[in-house]
Amino acid sequence: MQLGADGIFVGSGIFKSQDPAARARAIVRATLHYNDPKIIAEVSENIGEAMPGLEIATIAASERMQERGW
Amino acid sequence: MRIGVLAIQGDVREHRRHLEHLGAEAPEVRRVRDLDGLHGLVMPGGESTAIGLLMQEEGLLDALTARIRAGFPVYGTCAGLILLARDVEGPPPPRLGVLDITAARNAFGRQVASFEAPLDIPALGAAPVPAVFIRAPRIVRVGPGVTILARWQGEVVMVEQGALLATTFHPELTPDLRIHAYFLDKVRAARQAS
Repeated sequence: MQLGADGIFVGSGIFKSQDPAARARAIVRATLHYNDPKIIAEVSENIGEAMPGLEIATIAASERMQERGW
Repeated sequence: MRIGVLAIQGDVREHRRHLEHLGAEAPEVRRVRDLDGLHGLVMPGGESTAIGLLMQEEGLLDALTARIRAGFPVYGTCAGLILLARDVEGPPPPRLGVLDITAARNAFGRQVASFEAPLDIPALGAAPVPAVFIRAPRIVRVGPGVTILARWQGEVVMVEQGALLATTFHPELTPDLRIHAYFLDKVRAARQAS
């Protein structure tokens, strides 16, 4: 938002997090108050783990999207 | 003059620019404390349910309703009009409900049905005002204390009630400043009255 975006698009970042409702609420409030560090800090507490990531090297070649197809 | 622009959704910077061109300061409003020192407020468009829920969470619905009952001027466009409306057809959002109209949501259809039209608005002079309608609501009932300021093809598109002004279209999206200027006139009149 600070870079001038009009809004945020988020999906799996919420659905695959540990506490989707809490994380969704936090993202909504942080987006609304994107220039208020105090609020961003407050809403970032106690919202559980973020969506886990997968390191690319651990993904089998057959599962890597960019190498599928012909 | 300080005219706040509700900055939850909508064409915030466009409204701010129009107000600043007319000589007003136009700070963004997200919290109740942002209402301090304001002489009026603009409520832009967007998705009224999301805006209403966030206003409710922030305490803005209660804080604004109290100020409006004391004469505080507010101008709502599109979703802003819905949030001012007493009654709503379609899913009713948490809202201020201070303007005695019934608004029907998304009444002109989907995004592809959005349009621009030149409006005759006698209160603003002879030259038509370009109006941008984006998934606009329709005003389907007008209460006795509400003045109709403009129609388009028979539909009511602009109303006022005391210090409140509302349009179903978006004047911030054209270079024409007359609607914002009309609101500033209402703000000046309200200040003189108090």
